[in-house]
Amino acid sequence: VRMLKELLKGLWKENPVFRLVLGMCPTLAVTTSLENALGMGMAATFVLVCSNAVIAAVRRFIPAKVRIPCFIVIIATFVTVVDLMMNAFVPELHAALGLFIPLIVVNCIILGRAEAFASKHSVALSVADGVGMGLGFTLSLALLGTVREILGAGTITLWGDWGVKLSAGGDTIILFVLAPGGFIALGCLLGLMNHIQSVLARRRGGSFEPPAHLDCRHCVICKWGA
Amino acid sequence: MKNIAQLVGVPTVICLLAGLLLAWVHGVTEQPIREAKRKQKMAAIKKTLPAYDNQPDRTVYAVVAADGRTNALYYVASRNGAYVGAAREVTGRGYGGELRLMIGVNADGAVHGLEVLPGHKETPGLGAKIASDDFQGRFAGRSIRDTVWKVDKEDGAIQAITAATISSKAVTEAVAAGLAEYLEHEAAIRAAVGADAAAPQEERP
Repeated sequence: VRMLKELLKGLWKENPVFRLVLGMCPTLAVTTSLENALGMGMAATFVLVCSNAVIAAVRRFIPAKVRIPCFIVIIATFVTVVDLMMNAFVPELHAALGLFIPLIVVNCIILGRAEAFASKHSVALSVADGVGMGLGFTLSLALLGTVREILGAGTITLWGDWGVKLSAGGDTIILFVLAPGGFIALGCLLGLMNHIQSVLARRRGGSFEPPAHLDCRHCVICKWGA
Repeated sequence: MKNIAQLVGVPTVICLLAGLLLAWVHGVTEQPIREAKRKQKMAAIKKTLPAYDNQPDRTVYAVVAADGRTNALYYVASRNGAYVGAAREVTGRGYGGELRLMIGVNADGAVHGLEVLPGHKETPGLGAKIASDDFQGRFAGRSIRDTVWKVDKEDGAIQAITAATISSKAVTEAVAAGLAEYLEHEAAIRAAVGADAAAPQEERP
């Protein structure tokens, strides 16, 4: 039951993109098409699950003072593994994602989960957390990628041979495959997610309360120096 | 002291294990990566050349500079022992960075095909259209000598993509440079047919 909870929280309640708003750099950069978004999501999920598992397994041996360098070495190792594997077996996708594969190292979702979860929980729970967060990340990217590809390029393409290829033809809103369109699409989807949550909460007869640690009212960053 | 030993020892062990894992993965993937690269190159060569029955990446003509560096590598294609065309890779400076193209010419002195290789960083929806069949087709069938290899804005023959002049220009200029060099070496490239003599396949860095 606990494992299922940890797995499911990443999909909705603590969705890394839409609720935690983490990992924005790859989110905005690679979601110009559904295919790239899925590839990025799966690569990050692999790294997240492996690094969570290893970090949870060795968490008792790592001295607290040097834990971050140790986490980074473990994460970077798996990122390099993914990089080599993708280069060998899916070269087209590897070429399309380019620099963003090595940059998974600095994806704050992965270090964030290592620090906030894997270093404090058992291997099984950490794997569940990794799978959930990874899937949440992948689905969010896929959603954003779908919206941007349809609006911006008028197509939906999945891996060549067995994929779907729709093409509307005619003019498209090119803005959506460019960076500003990424921000606009992300903002609209964030607003939509919040709206759905508040509607669901109202239907249950309450009002929408974001988890305390994610709540603007409990965050003081913007009051610093004021 | 015990504390320091631990602070140094644990990361050292982790790095060591990470290194071992990476060495193993590198060993496993080295061959597939090379094959994938060759397959990608062969696919581009095939698309840019007329039908051939040799192995163009084994029948190469290398333009070697005075300092011994390979400047360009021509993949020479033949059919029934007769020269049908040659392809080479050229690089251009696009809007988003370097872009790599494969261009192929046929025996009649015309461009047979152009292929923008994956990994370019042109703007999606604008400059990225250089990889479309529509744009690539604007080069095919044009005589190397009788074509003004410039975009139409500069009174050339190649119609640039709307709102992506820089990318279009980058491709056109790269093609022009490659073709000019091809003309210089054409005789030698034609003579390379039949020199399949197991020329070791050169890897470009």
